[in-house]
Amino acid sequence: MHKQFNKVLKTIVGGLLATSLIACSPALPPNSSGVLYCSEGNPESFNPQMVTSATTLDMTSLQLYDTLIEYNEQQQEFRPALATEWKVTSDGRVYTFSLRENVQFHQTPYFSPTRSFTADDVIFSFQRWLDPEHPYHFVSGGHYPFFRATKLDQLIQRISAPTPYTVRIELREPDSSFMSTLSSSFAVILSAEYGQQLLLAHEPHRIDQQPIGTGPFKFRDFRQDVSVNYLRHDTYWRGPAASESLVFRITPSDHKRMLMLLTGDCDISPYPPARDIAWLKQRDDVNVQQSLSPNTAFWAFNTERPPFNQPLVRQALAHAINREALIRSVYYDHAVIAESILPDTSWAHVALPEAYSYDPVKARNLLTAAGFPNGFSMDIWALPVQRSYNPSARMMAEKMQADLAFVGIRANIVSYEWRSFRRRLAQGEHDSVLIGWSADHSDPDNFFRPLLTCAAKRSVNNRALWCHEGFDQLVTAAIRTTEISERQRLYRAAQQLLAEEVPVLPLAHSIRYQVSRKNVQGILPPTFGGIRLHPVYIDRSEPGPVTSTVTENTGGVP
Amino acid sequence: MIRIILRQFTVLALTLFVLTVLAFSLAFWFPGNAITNASGVLVTDIHYQAVATARAFDKNIISQYLAYMAHFFAFDWGVSLQDGASVWQEFKLRFPATLELSLLAMALALLLGPPLGILAAMHHNKPIDQIITFFSLSGYSIPVFWMAQLSILIFAVALGWVPIAGQVNPLFDIPLVSGSILVDIWLAEQPYRGIALLNALQHMILPVIVLATVPLVLLIRLTRNACVDVLRLNFVKGAYARGLSTPEVLFKHVIPNTMQEVTLHISTAFSLLITNTLIIEMIFSWPGLGRWLVRSIYERDYPVIQGVLLLLASLILLVNVATTIFHAWRFPRVRRELNAT
Repeated sequence: MHKQFNKVLKTIVGGLLATSLIACSPALPPNSSGVLYCSEGNPESFNPQMVTSATTLDMTSLQLYDTLIEYNEQQQEFRPALATEWKVTSDGRVYTFSLRENVQFHQTPYFSPTRSFTADDVIFSFQRWLDPEHPYHFVSGGHYPFFRATKLDQLIQRISAPTPYTVRIELREPDSSFMSTLSSSFAVILSAEYGQQLLLAHEPHRIDQQPIGTGPFKFRDFRQDVSVNYLRHDTYWRGPAASESLVFRITPSDHKRMLMLLTGDCDISPYPPARDIAWLKQRDDVNVQQSLSPNTAFWAFNTERPPFNQPLVRQALAHAINREALIRSVYYDHAVIAESILPDTSWAHVALPEAYSYDPVKARNLLTAAGFPNGFSMDIWALPVQRSYNPSARMMAEKMQADLAFVGIRANIVSYEWRSFRRRLAQGEHDSVLIGWSADHSDPDNFFRPLLTCAAKRSVNNRALWCHEGFDQLVTAAIRTTEISERQRLYRAAQQLLAEEVPVLPLAHSIRYQVSRKNVQGILPPTFGGIRLHPVYIDRSEPGPVTSTVTENTGGVP
Repeated sequence: MIRIILRQFTVLALTLFVLTVLAFSLAFWFPGNAITNASGVLVTDIHYQAVATARAFDKNIISQYLAYMAHFFAFDWGVSLQDGASVWQEFKLRFPATLELSLLAMALALLLGPPLGILAAMHHNKPIDQIITFFSLSGYSIPVFWMAQLSILIFAVALGWVPIAGQVNPLFDIPLVSGSILVDIWLAEQPYRGIALLNALQHMILPVIVLATVPLVLLIRLTRNACVDVLRLNFVKGAYARGLSTPEVLFKHVIPNTMQEVTLHISTAFSLLITNTLIIEMIFSWPGLGRWLVRSIYERDYPVIQGVLLLLASLILLVNVATTIFHAWRFPRVRRELNAT
């Protein structure tokens, strides 16, 4: 009997020992070469044409698909992708693209391509969002927000394929932002053959759930809330990806993502918690990459309401705000002061620091000149949600409240639930609002026409309700020409006009962060087109910390 | 015995009936359209009329309830309001994951709890007892979410022994068949099954131990108290007087009598465990019912809430009844008492 009791004890102790042994060494698949990327949410769709969120774009576009052309941020020029070269007629209305030959589509258990990429695929992909008669136009909801917002669906008059490897796009009017729009990660190329096959099988919706593209990875499976799995596309035209597989692990909490990175549950993690970035940078087992995202947080004044209809008052308000303090306290220094509405990464950026400098004395003088020696009271509407350009508009508004009190302005903070906030904003009920803008593509036009023109006022994106004929003429002239120096001149004039008129006060361009483990090789800082995981691999041969990894964007892909 | 079983099943059937009525009425109590709440089909959907007819919404409330039950047993639990996915299909893959975690934790608690409780009682008020009581009391006082975070910080972040998220490293590429990772690895035709199993166990170890703590300390305390009471009884003294050795007294007399008290509380421990499983799944990103249910509550996904709540409640009920029946079958004295009333 005693023996029996001993046996039980031994089993228990033995079991405990065994479990502690299991725990001690990490078990990994042998010869595996896969990258684990902790993503911040589920993808809305596997077709970037239909989405707006950067999360989905990161997980789909650059991994599964290719675009006709790409934008190189370092050289600030367009470079060939599926199109090898392009020509524009002198009137800027007809673009002819020569296509790359022998580009293979993904071979998967659900689709076997019988032909390589041709002009048919380009026509199919473009017609899907251009043509309401297209069999796929209304599949999966039929919304193409990017092409609608950039008005590309209005701009393109006709698209045709004179030869199997040439595509001709005719525009209604010349538009120098056209190439930027085409190079954005939303303008991907799908497989026309796959589309045909699904139509015959009466399952068209699968085109956005089980995607087929020409990109470096092919779809394997997706489990909601758990992971998205991709495999390497071995016949990728740029050469196979450095890793055999790519897994996006879905982890909405930023804190959890950081812990998973530290424990090796993921290799790369975007958007670490702002308060922990300094600490992460000190650790020697992780690398922190950063890039200036092309976004701007700004304070827009309702220029239809007195006293904000006076430029003098708006200038006074601009000089009353200590923006440097905002960068420190709201962004934890993970942003730079915006000296123009246009981010300083753009070639058309003109810094005008004097126009927006912190100068309370000047602000008081301007207020007196405008007829408000004793100040006035106003509302600041603070965006109720977190955005990449503003981690906490509420906190920002509180800091600004103190700055404004110093020059005699009594500010009152207003906030509504996000949907009613947007609705009331669209009705122009605000005095001023803290909001911002993230670029969809590389062209500077993206920060002017959709935001501050009279047309934008009609489409309610113009939060300042500002309509200035001179400004409209400048930015319209700028997209009608393709001459860079001429465009620079026009945008300089436009930015100077904004500095005088101050319909909005630019506040900050935030920095986007990404953390990777030391043994992750080939990773580049994220760009606004998304993250490119084609050259990334894990160096498992060196268990200890590796001294150097690529942190500068060299722009190229092996 | 048969009478007891019959009585238990009657009670079970009645409770289940009340439970289904409750789940059925939820569709009406939740704000919005009852048909949408029950089926997940929106008014704008082309199938809306067909669904309304199939669920007998043109007839009286009794037929509606019957239609609800028919749908329930046909596993047609409607579709999720968030993504339009079938609730049953999703449930089928998530429930085994939850079950796996809770059964392992329960097994661990049952394996360790009673022996430790008896050990403590045998050394009543001596150092061993005080140590065990100290740990069980601390385990009882620390909230499970706090313990989970603490264990992650110590064992995963500081010591780097175990991973903290998911069932297995996704690079193993285990095909999803049942949802339970151990079963899936067993079914997978892969050259690296052994290593995959090890990896899965590493993922499991922390959530299982943290999860086991609550029922474990409960069982330790119950067993200890019951055992101390039994040890004071005269027949134990009598057994010693008859010249039986300590192990003989222990295994023949003390343990059976102690377990009679403890067995009944196993179902309590289990229902505590299920509640905690939902929290643990959130913390360890375990793809079970927990995360799904919590997100559905945030998103007001009524078909999911309805289905999951009904199933979890039924599960706890079943375990309860099973425990009672086992209790009566194993311990004749209990059976006699039950029969007498």
